[in-house]
Amino acid sequence: MARYELDDDGVVVIIGSGSGGGTLAHELTRRGVEVVVLEAGKHLTADDFVNDEWGGYEMLSWLDKRTSSGTWRVAKDHALSPSWHCKVVGGTSVHWSACCYRLIEDEMRARSVYGDIPGTTLIDWPITLDELEPYYELAEAKMGVTGTNGLPPLPPNNNFKVMYWGAKNLGLEQVSTGRHAINSVPYDGRPATIQDGFTITGDKTGSRWSTLNVELPRALATGRLDLRPQCRAIRIEHDENGLASAVVYVDPHGVMQRQRARAVVLAGNCVESPRILLNSATGRYPNGLANGWGHVGRHYLRHLIQTVWSVFDKPVNMHRGEIMTGLIKDFARHDPSRGFAGGYYVELNSMGLPTTAALMEPGWWGRDFVSVIEQYANMAGIFMTGEDMPQADNRVTLTDELDEFGVPVANIHYDDHVNDTRMRSHGYKTLTAIHKAAGARRCIEAPAYPASHNLGSNRMSARPEDGVVDRHGRTHEVPNLFIADGSGFASGGACNPTLTIVALAIRQAEYMANRMAAGGL
Amino acid sequence: MTDSPVTRIAHKDPKLPPPVDLPEGPEWVETLGTFDAQMAETLVLAVRTLYPHDGLPDRVYRRTVHAIDRLATRAPAMAQIFAEFVDGADGAMPLAFRDLSEGYRVAVLKGMEGSMAFLLVQRSAVRFLYDDVEVWEAFGYEGASVHLGGYVRRGFDDLDWLPPVPAGV
Repeated sequence: MARYELDDDGVVVIIGSGSGGGTLAHELTRRGVEVVVLEAGKHLTADDFVNDEWGGYEMLSWLDKRTSSGTWRVAKDHALSPSWHCKVVGGTSVHWSACCYRLIEDEMRARSVYGDIPGTTLIDWPITLDELEPYYELAEAKMGVTGTNGLPPLPPNNNFKVMYWGAKNLGLEQVSTGRHAINSVPYDGRPATIQDGFTITGDKTGSRWSTLNVELPRALATGRLDLRPQCRAIRIEHDENGLASAVVYVDPHGVMQRQRARAVVLAGNCVESPRILLNSATGRYPNGLANGWGHVGRHYLRHLIQTVWSVFDKPVNMHRGEIMTGLIKDFARHDPSRGFAGGYYVELNSMGLPTTAALMEPGWWGRDFVSVIEQYANMAGIFMTGEDMPQADNRVTLTDELDEFGVPVANIHYDDHVNDTRMRSHGYKTLTAIHKAAGARRCIEAPAYPASHNLGSNRMSARPEDGVVDRHGRTHEVPNLFIADGSGFASGGACNPTLTIVALAIRQAEYMANRMAAGGL
Repeated sequence: MTDSPVTRIAHKDPKLPPPVDLPEGPEWVETLGTFDAQMAETLVLAVRTLYPHDGLPDRVYRRTVHAIDRLATRAPAMAQIFAEFVDGADGAMPLAFRDLSEGYRVAVLKGMEGSMAFLLVQRSAVRFLYDDVEVWEAFGYEGASVHLGGYVRRGFDDLDWLPPVPAGV
């Protein structure tokens, strides 16, 4: 592994090592760029991970205090942990369930297609699907996505059989096991899945793509990556020209350090990235870095995610096997006749007994609850992820409370938009109808759990006055400062965001390396 | 004399510590770090009232309270809130909580819903009760699998009460 000096101002510093930061690190280093990655979490290996829901949650999650406000249910159920992402080398790619879907054209032109929806701040993406598609292809090849590059889909599991026959009985047409960055057959030196069902507590077999087991080792092998785990970025500094010049961080010994940089990339997920920008205010940038137009932290999105858990007469054993192996695309397109803008995907969800009990309906207790949870073996789970509407005041802000590093604790405020509520209701009806059509005796509409599809809080825009970054993820205000995580999404789309984060990071690396070669960065 | 659970289908990850072994008699409370006997027995009954699985033995609820006790021992501020809960539950009726019938116990807990103390007890009860391997065994959750080769040859697709999914889906 490379070791760069703290005063080496030739390195690109990336904050965060997940799907965005870890991919970017590999794509830059293989093009000859020298990179330092600051990762707040530890460098764990497959051997450290456990097949245990709470054990994995406590090992991998970002558990530092946050607060929440607004009408969203999460503020009631999970007030101090409103967002669910990871603090570990590999970031949330160590935890994700590997669904790999592309945005569709309607979604990338959301403002033009959906129209002027009162209360929203919708914009079109500053890039087109045509421009993004070649990078989707590169991402799918790199990640070994099933259903692409000749890779077979994952086989149907028990939970999928229930979804499939329910959907077929309803006359739905676009039903499949979906696409995943989980090997159905050996690929890229990694084995096929053994259907262990614990991909989200860290993957012990390596059958799923993550930056921990693919991108970061390859970046290290170039000899140009200096990976620094347990290094917590605090703020970004700028020089007299207003360019990003260094990142201040706390090292594993608790000592404050300053790494100089030729360019800085934020890839710390949707709360930490705006938090660091807001914490980097100076006389020149009094509202925080890259925040001249006031968009840092705003337009926060978390997708309309919810699950229906149903009880059947006979065993399902949903916990066996890969957890999200199912997809229904019939509701993905924008269809105003349904009474709301945007679309949603129906997918599978399965959880073990510990988290099914905790998340099915937090706060529910008594004989009715136990009559359901005692039927765990006969339960199936079905899930949706849909597009939520951006609103200016759904945002990440800094509170007056300081954490152990002296950085203000972040608050996430989110009010549901009327479009969100309409889509949620439509979705619950769909999920319930599918399970009923497969024979469900009882269906439970579970609320959203802490947000895992965090998006939009440093959004991409064609015009500087509409967002934080440009079409390459470069901040409008500071030309050597970039965003490489989901906070840069112009709008949310409906599908699981990781494939798009990876595709954008590949595209961004190409842009940055070209600019550097041309002397422009 | 111990009563460590014997499980047939349910497995905890072998890297995790085994379930705690509690004595069978009332002396189980001597294993606790913070709660006294009266608090512990009240909490056992509170957890059973919240999650009344008639088929589960008391030792499961005792292990749950044992885990809550460890939490309270690590965080004295939480211990204070658990004490407030027990005081509140005992003070709500002319009888101590542990002497009330189930109907009255449910009424007392409903009256406490919304309080910080209730929230902490209810969330802690869910957190630890449904993480107990004997509860997994009872309700058919098999748990950790990598050390057993995953579920690929242990029934990940064995559901047979619906027709097979056509090839190529």
